[in-house]
Amino acid sequence: MLTEQPQKLRAAGSHKVDPVVTEIIRNGLVAITEQMKTNLMRTACNMIIYEAQDFTVGLFDTRGQIVSIGIGLPMFIRGMSDTVKAMLAHFGPGGIHPEDVLVTNDAFITGSHLNHMTFAVPIFHGEDIVGFSACMAHWQDIGGALDGMTKDIFSEGLQMPIVKLYRRGEPSEDLFAVIRMNVRLPERAMGDLNAQIAATRLGSRRFLELIERYGRDAVLGGIAAIMDHTEAIAREQVLSIPDGVYEAESFMDDDGIDNGRRIPIKVKVTVSGDEMAVDLTEVGEQVKGFYNSGEATGRACCQVAFKCLTSPIEKPINEGSFRPLKIILPPGRVVSAVRPSPMRWWMTFPMTIVDTIFKALASAIPDRVIAAHHADLMSCMINGRMPDDGKIYLVSGGLIGGGWGAKKGQDGSSATICINDGDTHNSPVEQIEAKYPMLVERYALREDSGGAGTWQGGLGVEKVVRAVNEFMFNVQIERVHCRPWGLFGGHPGAGNQVSVRCGNEPELSFPSGKVLARLLKAGEAYILRSGGGGGYGSPLDRPIEQIESDLREGYISKQRAERCYGIVFRPGGDVVDVAATPARRAALRPSYDHLDWSDTVEPQPGGNAAEEFFRAGNAAIFKRCC
Amino acid sequence: MDMQSARDLPRSRVAADVGGTFTDVVAFDELSGESYFGKTLTTPEHLVEGIINAVHKANTALEQTRLFLHGTTIGINTIIERTGALTALLTTKGFRDIYEIGRINRPEAYNLFFRKHQPLVPRSMRIEVTERMNAQGAVLIPLDENEIIAIARRLKAMKVQAVAILFLHSYCSPDHEIRAKRIIEEQCPGVFVTSSHELSQEYREFERTSTVAANAYIGPRVRSYLKEIDERLAREKFPGTFFVVQSSGGLYDVVHAQRECVKMLESGPAAGVIGANAVCKRLGLADAIAFDMGGTTAKAGVVLNGEVMMAGNIMIGGYAQGLPIQVPLIDIQEVGTGGGSIARIETGGGLRVGPQSAGASPGPVCYGLGGTEPTVTDANLILGRLAPDRFLGGEMKLDLEGAKHALQTKIAKPLGIDLLDAANGIILIATTTMSNVVTRVTTERGLDAGDFAMVAYGGAGPLHAGLVARELRIPTVIIPPAPGHFSACGMLVADLRRDFVRTWFKPLEKAGFDEMENIYGAMEAEGRRALEHDVADRGKIGISRGADLRYAGQEHSVTVELPAEIFAKRDRAGVKKRFDEVHAMRYGFNAPNEPAEIVSLRSSVVGYLEKPAPKRLALTGGKRAPAHRKVHFAEHDDFVDTAVYVRSELPVGARIKGPALVEEYASTTVVFPGDELEVGAFGDLIITIDRR
Repeated sequence: MLTEQPQKLRAAGSHKVDPVVTEIIRNGLVAITEQMKTNLMRTACNMIIYEAQDFTVGLFDTRGQIVSIGIGLPMFIRGMSDTVKAMLAHFGPGGIHPEDVLVTNDAFITGSHLNHMTFAVPIFHGEDIVGFSACMAHWQDIGGALDGMTKDIFSEGLQMPIVKLYRRGEPSEDLFAVIRMNVRLPERAMGDLNAQIAATRLGSRRFLELIERYGRDAVLGGIAAIMDHTEAIAREQVLSIPDGVYEAESFMDDDGIDNGRRIPIKVKVTVSGDEMAVDLTEVGEQVKGFYNSGEATGRACCQVAFKCLTSPIEKPINEGSFRPLKIILPPGRVVSAVRPSPMRWWMTFPMTIVDTIFKALASAIPDRVIAAHHADLMSCMINGRMPDDGKIYLVSGGLIGGGWGAKKGQDGSSATICINDGDTHNSPVEQIEAKYPMLVERYALREDSGGAGTWQGGLGVEKVVRAVNEFMFNVQIERVHCRPWGLFGGHPGAGNQVSVRCGNEPELSFPSGKVLARLLKAGEAYILRSGGGGGYGSPLDRPIEQIESDLREGYISKQRAERCYGIVFRPGGDVVDVAATPARRAALRPSYDHLDWSDTVEPQPGGNAAEEFFRAGNAAIFKRCC
Repeated sequence: MDMQSARDLPRSRVAADVGGTFTDVVAFDELSGESYFGKTLTTPEHLVEGIINAVHKANTALEQTRLFLHGTTIGINTIIERTGALTALLTTKGFRDIYEIGRINRPEAYNLFFRKHQPLVPRSMRIEVTERMNAQGAVLIPLDENEIIAIARRLKAMKVQAVAILFLHSYCSPDHEIRAKRIIEEQCPGVFVTSSHELSQEYREFERTSTVAANAYIGPRVRSYLKEIDERLAREKFPGTFFVVQSSGGLYDVVHAQRECVKMLESGPAAGVIGANAVCKRLGLADAIAFDMGGTTAKAGVVLNGEVMMAGNIMIGGYAQGLPIQVPLIDIQEVGTGGGSIARIETGGGLRVGPQSAGASPGPVCYGLGGTEPTVTDANLILGRLAPDRFLGGEMKLDLEGAKHALQTKIAKPLGIDLLDAANGIILIATTTMSNVVTRVTTERGLDAGDFAMVAYGGAGPLHAGLVARELRIPTVIIPPAPGHFSACGMLVADLRRDFVRTWFKPLEKAGFDEMENIYGAMEAEGRRALEHDVADRGKIGISRGADLRYAGQEHSVTVELPAEIFAKRDRAGVKKRFDEVHAMRYGFNAPNEPAEIVSLRSSVVGYLEKPAPKRLALTGGKRAPAHRKVHFAEHDDFVDTAVYVRSELPVGARIKGPALVEEYASTTVVFPGDELEVGAFGDLIITIDRR
């Protein structure tokens, strides 16, 4: 069993360093990784890097521990460090030389899919390695099957074990040739490769400048002190959480092969003093479809949730943040999958694990957690031929954003990218239409999609894209049935959804959320709808004037105001009867309050409790809401 | 012409910079070459009165003024304070929510309580219109004019004050926007109507929406404010011309300023960079960093090869939650470090400086206005770099003991360090964060700050410039005269300017020079038309062209300047070569064998105004014997006896070895140990930094 023991807080004063110099180094480290990030984004050749920011850059110490990560992909918070550690183990400290460029995309090291090509360079100060500068970025194509479902890693493309792409500054032409032959867009791949190497070298150069300016001992001592400070901040936050064992369960719809077979996501969080343990032992086993991820990602789920709760805006992101966290994660779970399981869609399930950790802690820290979000990138993979020259194009459609959960005191955020990603941008409609044979018909908020609550979940969005010329369409979204849950009586948000429209036929909806290798002919369209966030607190406690505003702005319908929020309208009109509403709300309250929404709408294995509940007509109130 | 009548001719130019705290006026007398300064507190209720009072304080009569130049924060304040007009937004059917959806990003990736941008126009006021163009500019769905008329009537009934129009792909085909605007204007006389292509002809619908919505939102207020100034100037018998400063640093006339209000959001900071460029020109410098430090922020811009470096957009309200404005403007980066930045100890023992600021109220502890948290200004006072009895010319007494007590109890004691180490440490940390903002406009653009001089201004700039320069190995720091009024000074030397950008996706190999000439020609003709009223002499109009290029497959483009000979010779290879060079400079590599594509064409049309000639000061006598006081520098263990000069008493050519202080109203220049100051021919303090 893989466990990571929390390290004890070092005795005060073990890093006797100048607080001023330490602060200067802290600012310097943040600036370095920001520069690496900017450089990579501006020079990368594919939209997944420059708009979706599906990359991570960072500096690591001589053991591969995180010194500073520039936010790209939060869910890769663990992957790059683990990759540097694996590289160190592979070559041994004596086997890495100046001007070496190390690379791998081994999914079982990075914990994610093969598209995540990860580069690292050693930072030499004189004869000694003082750290590593590394960069992961998502390549648009890494070979493998173009459409459909994959069932093992071999069908997902080129696997590059840990190798040296440059040895002491000399490029390995053989390896370059191997890469070029195995990817569909070799020029783009080489462009991204160059951008990544430039970013890692930039990080190395800037780190050495810091050492030259302040001295090696001051910099390395400063880094140790920064980690200690961050650890202390995290411990203080954990200490404020009541001790106890907190559990929660949620479900994924299915693995894309066994349609409708729910996958349990069960977490146990133990808080004891200033330490926290997250146990993922009872998370479902690895699956046949490509929704698996590696152990690095399973641990990343815990660390992302932990950072959100303990030091969300503290920079740089560094290893000290995670010292008070112990992770229990046996191999073979869906987030600690073993070779050769397929991992192409690695990123979807972990997001629900993060939400489930928040849910587990809801009773302990009700004012610091968040209701569930749509938890899916809403991404689709499209390939086709350009109408003018017949060249193949690959594009990630989607990334449309979705609803986030409500929190105590704040409605959920609408149309916002899921937690796997951070500073990810959508693609401008005007850009998509100029570059690809597509026409966007609509990109809009989904009314009524946010879960009702005292604080309402954020709204999901809808995007309708018409094929101007035919293309192949693949989409694999989740949480269509297992919808984003609410907290403390807040209702669940709408689930994610995908459908296609052919001719004048009614929309064809895909109940599993998975559309694999579908040809869309000219004039046909795909429709993506992202879920809303869960609500927080009883809808009956939402202030009437807030509901009036939601109605005015069209965020909710009149029906929803009546049914979920207990609003009374004046006869024959759209005007809220402010006088009559409180009485109706009071009358509704008993049947509302005895229902624990956070539990009753939860899906059970093999089915969706919410739907069954709905079908059985057990809860009239729920029927009215949905 | 006798002396009497010459004196009666309009001969002054007046620049008024209305900031959040102060209204600064500089009046330049073209006959005598003298400058006069006036400063008043900005009173939001009576902005125009404040300007007139400051003009009077500067001993200047508007009836003898030829040019009135104005920079204002009214636009940006209207956005930040959300006090704009009742505004409606018309958009293409299916897209009214793009303004609210935005770019969907979460820059604060781990913050569960992150709040995204808040649109200026609520959803209920965003109205969808039946029309559609495609990316090639072809009409897919024609505009339904009857629908627009019906909408206009509805808006009129709602007493809407401003209307913004954004249709998809209007950057390449604005016909629908033009027609919709005309109808709304006909139906709703007096309403401020603005359409996106008039402000930006670049692709990216969210950014263009945000730009046009902001323009509408602030339009009515800015329009009436400028009208009020115009009328007040008329009452003062002002016989000259009134121009407003844009964020590009260029001037525009009131007619354009009242239409394109979002172009003036950053007028004050932009004028500062223009002023820095003028300092470079008079000193014969090609390259410089403009460094502006005030009470809450430090800002940096760049002059490269005699030209101010530009950017294509700005986020008003910061990156994470800001509203984008997509217009050409000076590339100014900002950090929340200023004199008022608060020092505090974070859990775990880290020492932090800013971004929290004590602001002007309560202000630093030493102001004695109720501030309790130690700030950068308090540290400067403790170190003797500011004098308790000489702040703002002695108008404000500073509380040294209060500052010491706060720093001792809140920082020094908990960290177990000496009071002076704590004070020096705070200054050092502030210095490095400010250095990082300078590297954002230099290093991150592929430039080495060490190759640049630094022109430093703003109230706190001269106090810290020597340290920032040391940090970045900058060899020379220049403190221009009146650093506390520098933005207003910059306005005096600005030119008229119109900037145009037109998105035009085209592989470079397929880009026809004839077609390019047409596009540039149209932009430039429009620019000339806008300027001809104020610049009669066509020889005084300059044109510069550029293009945004990228390698095929990239998204982000870089702007490449394209000199006239490129077009004369139709030198396609020359365009590529310049792009490859710029890419290598900015990002450390290029791909000469990879094809490039054009994203946008850019043109700037500049109407050169006559400038006040820089005044050479007479070499007058020896410098007066300085006063002395004890000042602490990090290099020494103890306070050292330091010479303190009065700037107005320093003659040209005077040389002063550091450590020394030079005091003037609202600013103190620190000459650090090892540095040497020389007073330049135009009164600039030119400090050679000891780079050992």
